[in-house]
Amino acid sequence: MTASPLYSGTQVSRVETPAAQGATELGVDPTEKDARGGRPRLGVFKFASCSGCQGVLLSCEDELLALADALEILYFPEASSHLQEEGPFDLALVEGSISAPEHLEQIQKIRARSKTLVTIGACATSGGIQALRNFGNLDDFVHRVYPRPEFIAALATSTAVAEHVKVDYELRGCPISKRQLLELITAILLGRRPEIRNESLCLGCKRYGYVCVTVAHGLPCLGPVTMNGCGALCPSVGRGCYGCFGPKEGANTEAMAQRMLQLGMSKDDVRNAFRFITGYAQAFREESARHE
Amino acid sequence: MTAPESSAAPLYRLEEAGLALLLEGLRRDGYRLVGPVVRDGAIRLQRIEGISDLPRGFVDEQAPGTYRLRSSGNGRLFACRPGPQSWKRHLFPPREPVVQLKRHGDSLEWRRPVVEDPPMAFIGVLPCDLAAIRIQDRVWMEGPFQETRYVARRRNTFIVAVNCLEPGQLCFCASMGTGPKAGQGFDVCLTELDGAFFLEVGSERGEAAVASLPLREASEEERRRLQESLKQARLRMGRTLETRGLGGTLFGNIEHPRWEEVAKRCLTCGNCTHVCPTCFCLNVRETGTLADGRQDRERFWDSCFSLDHSMIHGGYFRHTPKQRYRQWLTHKLGAWPSQFGTVGCTGCGRCIAWCPVGIDITEEATAIRKTSRGHVRMPQPRSAPVRAGDPLVPTPAQVKGVRQETPDTTTLWVEPTGPFHWKPGQFNMLSIPGVGDVPISISGQEGSGILHTIRAVGKVTRALTSLQPGALLGIRGPFGTSWPLRAVRGRIVTVVAGGIGLAPLRGAIRVMAAHPRHYPWVRLIYGARTPADLLYPEELELWRQLLHMEVEVTVDRATPDWTGNVGVVTKLLRAGRKVRPDGVYLVCGPEIMMMVVLEELRAAGVPEEHIYLSLERNMKCGAGFCGRCQKGPFFLCKDGPVFRYDRISFVFRHAGL
Repeated sequence: MTASPLYSGTQVSRVETPAAQGATELGVDPTEKDARGGRPRLGVFKFASCSGCQGVLLSCEDELLALADALEILYFPEASSHLQEEGPFDLALVEGSISAPEHLEQIQKIRARSKTLVTIGACATSGGIQALRNFGNLDDFVHRVYPRPEFIAALATSTAVAEHVKVDYELRGCPISKRQLLELITAILLGRRPEIRNESLCLGCKRYGYVCVTVAHGLPCLGPVTMNGCGALCPSVGRGCYGCFGPKEGANTEAMAQRMLQLGMSKDDVRNAFRFITGYAQAFREESARHE
Repeated sequence: MTAPESSAAPLYRLEEAGLALLLEGLRRDGYRLVGPVVRDGAIRLQRIEGISDLPRGFVDEQAPGTYRLRSSGNGRLFACRPGPQSWKRHLFPPREPVVQLKRHGDSLEWRRPVVEDPPMAFIGVLPCDLAAIRIQDRVWMEGPFQETRYVARRRNTFIVAVNCLEPGQLCFCASMGTGPKAGQGFDVCLTELDGAFFLEVGSERGEAAVASLPLREASEEERRRLQESLKQARLRMGRTLETRGLGGTLFGNIEHPRWEEVAKRCLTCGNCTHVCPTCFCLNVRETGTLADGRQDRERFWDSCFSLDHSMIHGGYFRHTPKQRYRQWLTHKLGAWPSQFGTVGCTGCGRCIAWCPVGIDITEEATAIRKTSRGHVRMPQPRSAPVRAGDPLVPTPAQVKGVRQETPDTTTLWVEPTGPFHWKPGQFNMLSIPGVGDVPISISGQEGSGILHTIRAVGKVTRALTSLQPGALLGIRGPFGTSWPLRAVRGRIVTVVAGGIGLAPLRGAIRVMAAHPRHYPWVRLIYGARTPADLLYPEELELWRQLLHMEVEVTVDRATPDWTGNVGVVTKLLRAGRKVRPDGVYLVCGPEIMMMVVLEELRAAGVPEEHIYLSLERNMKCGAGFCGRCQKGPFFLCKDGPVFRYDRISFVFRHAGL
């Protein structure tokens, strides 16, 4: 059979449909050039947080120039006083948890102005250390801490950004990892799948060749239920992981807690181990509740 | 695997000073010495300078989830059992470059960086670990493809093995036939006994290395003592594992409740896979960043316990801890013999010690065996000749033409560099620099160019379907098995395709369409979601006009202008006639569609050996290295993607395999 020449050397007109344009999992079609013809626009925002994750972006040093070339930085108060808050943004990096009443409206605005919204750090992705208040009573804390509690306007809970708006991607950690940040920005700009693995810390720890602190020293370590990404920092210096990257997918916290009890931890200590920097992340929150 | 303990093999006595000379000699010959070292409370395998770095006076105590070093109370250098690291990290490093991309004007060149490290001498390889190295050799070196960097390192590696006279609580090398005496593969083997070393030579290289050492032939008494010590060691294993027929038992118990039980304890952390000296699964990533402007690729250790390992176009097929633990255990103990002619376990006990919750592989396998509910026959390993070249290095190709097939599917007409020979059913790995590479079936040929019909579902396929004529991309391949066009000659052939599943079949259909004398009766049943999703409408029409072909098309959802069939392909299969048990069936489509088609064929009495399927997985290598395309004992990339159904029916029906 001789098939008719179905293929020409020229581009056949494309059928443009939503499926063909295809919103990616990041919400950006990498092949779609910026409508204004310019570089993708970046906004960096902050809610309740210590600014350490923005610091990671600033500490990119060598890479910072390349980033500044690739992106138009419209809003980054920590880095520049020249601010265009209105956007619109192709990429918004959001640090911090939703903790104060005004945050509720601000995050909606940012979402509306941003094509891709990435939350960065433990605060933005889980509520952060300040979410410890979620387990107690805000009024009690405010009255104990502040001499003039009537000046304090805070929400009863500190929560992750994803509980309020759609988040396209999360970078975990306290602080985030520079490698993951560069990988994510590169991946978004090049249209590749970011190589940010939701796997246990142990896999990273073993690739580095560190000796397991639980098995060799009997130290409790949240590595098996925590997402990798930090470079196994704590185990590298002989300490157990305290879970700052938050729960890995499918974290079997119950079996983890059993093991921690076996290693001699008290019920209170197990509860407190899960209720720490990412303690309000669902899997850790639920596990700590089992040890009330 | 254990070599016969022939008393005829020369055995020499070497004092410790002589051992020091051996290591010095190896260093002088340019070897980098790697050996056991005490660090951070465990034995790590790292660079050493000489025997003073060895763990003299240390021994380990191991239990499930526990490892402690303590003083041995003697001066032995090699009293320690396997620690958290294995030699694989030196031969198959946790991270390693795969390719570097160079651009010369408009052309692309991918290069595999060559290994520049000096050759290594492994000092103190325990028998279980020697067996593990030999097992990994089969994965990386014994075909059909070779991992060139592994080969480069392995060829130059000098191995000083050490027989094991004091197996530990977690050891079961005697059950696995890998110890306590070292089998084949060493250059020199030592036994540390009574304050001296007894030395055997296993290679010419070893012979040269010991030539100038102060050796004296062992006495009959010493020889007897050594044999006796090894015999005693064999009896002191802390664990046992019955391996006879274990693969068939494990695969016969895929739905056994024990998997659920172990899953409750399993953390899916993957420690077992990373301490295992034979686990080889890997993943590949693009390493370039905006900052460095490079578009290189590296591979890194992956684990079947990570969710990503089972990713396939946006979804995952191994969600649960049960599925992941089962994948690991059935692979290690069950599938490996069919894949590589050896069990994947050496009895070193690492996975038991370094599992944070102490899950015991011997206990789990034994539990399944003792309460077994069925047994299947496992396929025999098939050896394949080693092919030349590096399967991980793409060659450049150019897009000659682009054709939009459906809203989300595009055919690329691609001109490879040089002649390209393929068979219908095979696939290529298509690379976009900086973005990644994906397996895509070859869907036909036009002139010297080949056709790839690609549905945009992920990042790489989206980038591929956006390419314009003239664009460059990388190709690796062709990989895999093909449709049995010769075997089906003269038979009544029914092709059942669903959605994009027509693409890997098109090459075969074109051959059958062009040769009515060989293929006198061909029936094509093709289903798509909607009329707009039908692939190759003009070609379907051409085929329909051929006297020896029948073409029937159906859609799940009709549009107002659609006058054809509506419904699933099975409806057409049995419409107006009986499904012929003597016919041959070529099937490709979504797995759920293939399931219902297979059920229909089974009900009609079609023997399994008359059915051929093409399966799909998100492989990263195409060469049997990454482990991501495993379906039970099969690698889809080299044993498939086209399978005769009777070969795989025992694994095909189970979700999560």
